[in-house]
Amino acid sequence: MRSSFLWRNRVMMTGSLLLLIAAHLLTTGVRPGDMASQPEGYLLGLLSPVQSASARMIESTHDFWRDYLDLVGVRRENARLHVEVARLENQRSRLYEMETENRHLTDLLELREALGLKAVAANVVGSDATGLSRTLILGQGYDSGLRAGMAVLSIDGVVGKIIAVSSTSARVLLIDDHNAALDAFDQRTRARGIVAGEIDEGLTMKYVGRSALIRDGDPVVTSGLDGTFPRGLLVGQVSNVEREGPGLFLQVTVKPAVDFRRLEQVLVVTDPPPRVDANDQGQG
Amino acid sequence: MISDDQGPIGVTRLILLFTAATLVALALQTVLPYWLPLGFALIPDLVLILVVDLGLRHHGALAALMAFVMGYATDAFSGTHIGMNAFLTTLVFLLAYEIASRLMVTNVVVGVVTVILGVLIKDSGAILISSGMAGFGQVGRMFPQMLLKAIVTAAFAPAVFAAMAGLKRLTGLPAASGREDNRIEGVLR
Repeated sequence: MRSSFLWRNRVMMTGSLLLLIAAHLLTTGVRPGDMASQPEGYLLGLLSPVQSASARMIESTHDFWRDYLDLVGVRRENARLHVEVARLENQRSRLYEMETENRHLTDLLELREALGLKAVAANVVGSDATGLSRTLILGQGYDSGLRAGMAVLSIDGVVGKIIAVSSTSARVLLIDDHNAALDAFDQRTRARGIVAGEIDEGLTMKYVGRSALIRDGDPVVTSGLDGTFPRGLLVGQVSNVEREGPGLFLQVTVKPAVDFRRLEQVLVVTDPPPRVDANDQGQG
Repeated sequence: MISDDQGPIGVTRLILLFTAATLVALALQTVLPYWLPLGFALIPDLVLILVVDLGLRHHGALAALMAFVMGYATDAFSGTHIGMNAFLTTLVFLLAYEIASRLMVTNVVVGVVTVILGVLIKDSGAILISSGMAGFGQVGRMFPQMLLKAIVTAAFAPAVFAAMAGLKRLTGLPAASGREDNRIEGVLR
């Protein structure tokens, strides 16, 4: 049996079959939330406690290291005081963290009230596994009312939308991912376009007509037409406008309003955003 | 029999070992970049190193299936296309398997070179799959970052290979493929 063609080539044949299965999953366009992606939800849930625990552990190590750095250079003339200072520093760090978290949550609460929509706060516990895509992992999931397609915001502006949910965690596609896009308009000129992520970071505003008088520093806000994000939320500011070159549209670069690497708490809008009439928006 | 490594007990141990290693790798890959924002290029692809280890040292249909599952698990924590990482890690596994089947010994240098090739193939493939025809230009733009990531991942590879070899010895699994041992024995005779 071991000398047969099938046995000798079993690895290549199994591998090829698995490649076909993977290609089938890719070409059928299975998206998070579909039946075929249910194991993904289980995996997301399986790793959620590990991620939360690791996040807490790393945060403690981070605090400890920061305290240590603060203490380097202090003379060791009084060991007891030194330990006491370290303890108090540690306590101060924890209080500072609590105060920061409290401030973030208060800000998010204010944002929720300003939006007038139902929303829940969620903690960020991880980021994308490969780094090539830009996603975040939240420490709350289905049990907290989170669902795929919901908008995720921070006090600074739009963060992204939920693409996969397990009972205890959720994955957010950031607006600067190269597969993300949202309908937005320049608040000053009312020129509409599609804000999309770039593979090498940053945002571009596509399909803006050449007649639009967009300029650097203009705020870009959501139009509400995509049915995901409520209208009027800050996406970013125009950082560059290319008027040269061929084509029907301007090349507009947008600087995101949110620093995605510093996000700790976010707000997930659980209510569907109110419908917006396209005629209320600016012209493209 | 789906694996030529060992009997059912060995197969179970192999599955458990790589399952645990994959979960640890994924936990590190998702949590560390969040707390230490180093950017795409400086995040080592630990799961890919495990897949290369499988391809170089475990020559059975089970190993191919495990590589696929490891890729699918990565899909749960990355990107928007389910099946993309499953496809690409299976491809990298087959590359490592082909390299191992043509060489007499698969030492750490071979592993490191395979990891570099694997990262470049996987990341280029990911950009092409997710961006379509526009991806060719993007691969060119991202190449320096991909190369840096490949080098960073390769720098971690010897430690991961050594850790996996140690864990395999600890769990009574062979550290090298049976086929490799047979070939060395053949030469020595």
